[in-house]
Amino acid sequence: MTSAVKRYVGTAVNRVEDLRILTGTGRYVDDVLPTGTLHAAFVRSQVAHGRIVKVDVEGARGAQGVIAVFTGQEIEDLVLGPGAHGLGSDSLMPSPQPAYTVLCTDKVRLVGDPIVMIVAESRHLAEDACELVQVDIDQLPAVATAAAALDPSSPLIFDDLAENVIKRAAPVKFGDVEKVFASADRVISAHIDMHRHQNVPMEGRGIVADFDPSTGDLTVTTGTRRLHLVRTILAERLGLDPARVHVRAGDIGGAFGSKFASSREELSVALASKVLGRPVKWTEDRSENLLFSGQAREESWDVEAAVSNEGDILGLRVAMIRDSGAYPGVGPLLDRLFERILPGPYKIQAYSFESISVITNKATYIAYRAPWAGETFLRERMFDLAARELGLEPLQVRMRNVVKRDEPPFDMITGQSLVSVTNRESLERITELVDFAEFRRLQTQARAEGRLVGVGVATYVEASPGPRPKDGTPLGAEQAWIRLDADGTVVLTTGQMPHGQSIQTALSQIVADEMGVTLEQVRVEYGDTDTAPAGATGGSRSASFAGGAALVASRELRQNVLNAAAEILEASPEDLDIVRGMVGVKGVPGSAISLAQLVQSAAPATSSDAESRFESVINYTGGEGGWSSGTHCAIVEIDAETGATKVNRWIVVDDCGVVINPAVVNGQIRGAVAQAIGAVLLEHSVYDDEGQFLTGSFMDYLLPTADDIPEIEIHHVESVLLDADVNFRGIGEGGMVVGPSALCGAIEDALSHLGVRVYEQYLPPTRILELMGTIEPERRP
Amino acid sequence: MKLSPFDYLVPDSVDAAIEMLAQYGEDGRLLAGGQSLLPMMAFRLAAPATLIDLNRLTELTHISAESDAIRVGAMVRERAAERSGALLTGVPLLARALPLIGHEAIRTRGTIGGSLSHCDPASELPAVAVAVAATMTARSQARGERVIAAEDFFVTHYTNALEADELLTHVAFPLTDPGTGVAFEEMARRHGDFGMVGVAILLHIAVGTIDHARVVLTGVADGPFRSEAAEHVLIGADPGSDCFAAAANAAREAIDPPSDLHASAAYRREVAGILVRRGLEHALADALGHE
Repeated sequence: MTSAVKRYVGTAVNRVEDLRILTGTGRYVDDVLPTGTLHAAFVRSQVAHGRIVKVDVEGARGAQGVIAVFTGQEIEDLVLGPGAHGLGSDSLMPSPQPAYTVLCTDKVRLVGDPIVMIVAESRHLAEDACELVQVDIDQLPAVATAAAALDPSSPLIFDDLAENVIKRAAPVKFGDVEKVFASADRVISAHIDMHRHQNVPMEGRGIVADFDPSTGDLTVTTGTRRLHLVRTILAERLGLDPARVHVRAGDIGGAFGSKFASSREELSVALASKVLGRPVKWTEDRSENLLFSGQAREESWDVEAAVSNEGDILGLRVAMIRDSGAYPGVGPLLDRLFERILPGPYKIQAYSFESISVITNKATYIAYRAPWAGETFLRERMFDLAARELGLEPLQVRMRNVVKRDEPPFDMITGQSLVSVTNRESLERITELVDFAEFRRLQTQARAEGRLVGVGVATYVEASPGPRPKDGTPLGAEQAWIRLDADGTVVLTTGQMPHGQSIQTALSQIVADEMGVTLEQVRVEYGDTDTAPAGATGGSRSASFAGGAALVASRELRQNVLNAAAEILEASPEDLDIVRGMVGVKGVPGSAISLAQLVQSAAPATSSDAESRFESVINYTGGEGGWSSGTHCAIVEIDAETGATKVNRWIVVDDCGVVINPAVVNGQIRGAVAQAIGAVLLEHSVYDDEGQFLTGSFMDYLLPTADDIPEIEIHHVESVLLDADVNFRGIGEGGMVVGPSALCGAIEDALSHLGVRVYEQYLPPTRILELMGTIEPERRP
Repeated sequence: MKLSPFDYLVPDSVDAAIEMLAQYGEDGRLLAGGQSLLPMMAFRLAAPATLIDLNRLTELTHISAESDAIRVGAMVRERAAERSGALLTGVPLLARALPLIGHEAIRTRGTIGGSLSHCDPASELPAVAVAVAATMTARSQARGERVIAAEDFFVTHYTNALEADELLTHVAFPLTDPGTGVAFEEMARRHGDFGMVGVAILLHIAVGTIDHARVVLTGVADGPFRSEAAEHVLIGADPGSDCFAAAANAAREAIDPPSDLHASAAYRREVAGILVRRGLEHALADALGHE
C-alpha cells in the first residue's frame, strides 16, 4: 500500500482545540442552558456513618423557588433497579456486590452521601432550601481506616455483606518463591504506604437532562468519558427506550480517571427531568468534587525482597491492603493488572501477590491517572532500599537487574512478554544526561556544608497497549467511521471522548497524512450517541487504538478514492496519488482534480450505493501493540532546617512509540509529572478518626502551582516497533506511574546519610523534619 | 457553594457607612476586598443578614505621609500599598511583608484594613502592625473617633477590638528609624499560601550593641505573637550568631503553637526558631547596609 509523505505526524502542529479552549469559547456542561432550566442541589450527610431515622422535607417543599423535592425513598419508587451496567464502573465489581440506593434511604456511609435532591428555579434557591431539610441520623462508629475495617468489632457498612471487605484476591505465586527466598543472601522487609489523594479536574461532574414529554426523548449533556454507557444506564434505570436517549458531551475540563459513566447524582437529575418534563441541571461544585466525586490511591503493602549481596533482586513477596472507600469503585478491578506487571522490566525470578480491598466510611476509590501505579512505587522503593542496604548506587542496581532485549528472560515471571521494552536504553540515556559520579562528588561537598541534595531514578513499563498476547488474542476493539463529504472534507468520527488529550488534533494529523490532504481538510467529530460510535477515552489507549483506527480507516478511504479517481482519470489506481487534497496521476500535475470534484463527478457515475463508496466503518483491534516505558530522574535540594523540598531538575526519558505530536506528548508528560510532584509534596485527602473530611477546599487540599514545578527535560529513546503500521503508544499516565518513585527516591537519597529510609509517599516539610529526627513525630490522621 | 440570601448596602461615605453600622450592629458585616469573607459566605460558614460594601468609600483609599507616620486608608488595596514609594521607604517592613500576601490578583482586591480587621493569626499585616507599633483609628456614629494601639487591636482568632458599630478608617504606620534593619521570614506550603509560621523583625544597632528589637511571630498563637523573650535576649547584646541563636531558642520556648494539616506543633516551634535566626541575620545585614 502506498501512503503519502508524512507531513503532520511527528510535528508539533498547533492544536485544533486551541482556538475555542484558549479563547474561553469552549462548551462545557455548565455552558448548556436550555430555556426553562431548573437547578438541582443535594442535601448531603454531615456524618460519616449512621442510620437515617427521619427525613423531613416539608420546609423545603414550601420554600421560595422550589419546584420539587425528592427524598431517597421517592427516587427509589420512581427508578428501576440497577441493571447489568450499574452506574458504570461499579458494575464491573466482583460479587457479592452490596445493595445501595440512588440517594440514601436507610443509611449514610460517608460525609457527603446524598440524601435529598432539591430542584428549584436557581441553584441559589435550591441550596437555600437544602438548609430547610431536617435529617435525623442515628450515628454509628465511623470505620475510618483499613485497620478499623478489618476489626471484627467495627460495625458493618453494608448490612448485606458479612464483613467490611469488598474483595479478597486469591494469593498467586510465580516461580519457586520458597526456594528463591530460602537461598537468597538476604531478605529485605518493608511496610510501604501510599496516601489517599485525588483527581482534581478543573471541571467537576455535571449534567443537563432535558426530557421532552411530547416525544419521550431524553436529551442529556454530561461530562463523562463513556457516553453510550450513560445512555444504556439512563435507559435501564428510567425505563426508556435507549433509542430515545440522546447523550452528548462538548468540551470536558479533565477527568484523570474520574467521570467514568454515570453517578448517583446524575441519575437523580435525569429522573427529575423525566418526572417534571423540564430541563434540569446539576453542576458539581468544588466542595462536592473534593468531598464526593471519588478519591484514589490509598494502599499499603507488606513487601519482602530476596536479594543477593551483589545487588540481584531475585524475588518479591507482596501483600496489599487497599482502602476502597464507601461504595463499589474500581479499586479491586486493578488487582489483576497490578499483579501481572509488578515485576516490571526486571529479571525477577519468583514473586507472590495477594490483596484485600476493604470498605471504609470515606470517598469511593476511583481511578486516578495510573491507578495501578502502586506496583511501580513499591517495586522501585524496594530497589532503592535494597541498594542502600547493600551500599550500592540505586541506578546501578536497576541496571544490573533490568532485562536486555537480546538475552533471556524475555518475559516477566508473570508471563507478560517483555518484547519491545526499552528500559535498559532509557536508564542508560539517563546516565548520559546526568553525571552521577560528579553528582556524588557535589553531594559530598554539599553535605559537608550542611546542605542536602539528592538524586532519584525510577523506571516503569506501562501496558498501553502492551504487546499482543502470544495466543493471538486481539488487544482490544475500537471503531472509527470515516467519510468524504461533498465539499472534499474528510470527516473522521471517533468513539473517543476527549477531555484534554488533544485527540482531535492527533487524529487529524494521522488522517491528513494517510489521506494526503491538509490538516484543514480534516474534521474529527465525537461526543454524541446519535452520531458517533461507542467508545471511551481512558487507559492511555487513545493514541494506539483511536490512532490505529484512524490510520486504517484513512487507508481504506484513500484506496476507495483512488479507485474512483482511476475511473474518472482513466488511469490505474496505482499510478495515482493524493497531494494536498488533489488527486491526480503521479508526475502529471495538470491531471489532478480536487476531492470535492471527485465526489461530485464520481457519485452519479457509479453504482447505487455511491455514497457508501466514500464512507467506511473500521473496527481496529490494536495490531501488535508494544510497551510504553521510561525512566525519570529527579534532583532535589532539601532545606535542612525547614524540611522544604525544592525540585531542581527533572529529566524524563520516555518511549511512547511513534510520536504523533511532540507538543501534545510533552504536555502530557509535564502534566503527569506536575501531578506526581503534587502527590509527594502537597496533595493529601485527609479524614479524621470520626470520618470527617478535613481537606474539603483548596485551602487544605493543595495542588502544585507553576512555581512548584521545575523545567522538565524530556527525551525519547528509539522505540522497538512491533507493528507494520501502527506504533503509537500511550503517554498520558507514565509520569504519574513513575514520578512519585523518582521524587521519593531523590528525597531519600538527600537524607540517606542521616539513616533516613522512606517507606511512604507523602513527604511534606513536617514529615521531612520528623524523618530527620529534628522533631518528634506527631500522630496525624 | 452559593451565598445565603442577604441584604446589600453600598454607602458612599464614611458617615453613611457608620450610620448603617449603628443601625444594623452585629447583623451588618463589612465587605472590603472580600478575599476572606466571600469564600466563607460561599461555604455558608458566614451568613450575614446584611452586607455593607465599603468599596465606594474613596475617602479611605489614600496613603499620606505625615511627619512621624504614614497614614493608610483602610480601603487601600494591598497591591496599591506595595507600589507606594512613600510607604515602602517609610515603613520598609511592609515592603518585605506585602509580597508574601497571597498572589497579585488577591492583593489587587485585598485591603490593608480588611486584612488587619480579619485577624487571621497566620496573616502578615497584623505582625507588621504590632512590630512597628501601628495605631488603628476607628469611627462610630455614637462615639466618634477612637485610636487603638496595634497591641490591643488583635484580640484573638478572627476577633478584633472594634465595637459592632465601629468602622476602621485608617492605620498609622510610624516611620521606621533610619538605620533599622528589617526582615519578614515566612514558611508556607506554597508561594502565596498562608504561612505555617512567620516572623517580622526590626533590629537597630547603636555602637555595636542592639538597642531596639522587635520579634513578632505569625502562626504560633491566636494572633500576632510578640516574643518579648527573644527581644529581651537581643537588647543590649552584640549582634551575631550567638545572640541570634539564643534569641531563636527563647522564641521557641515561649510559644505553644497549634497543630493542623499543614504543620505539626513541633514543626511550628522548631521552624519559628529557624525563622527568627534567619530573620535576625537578614535584618542585621539590612541594618549594616544602611551604614
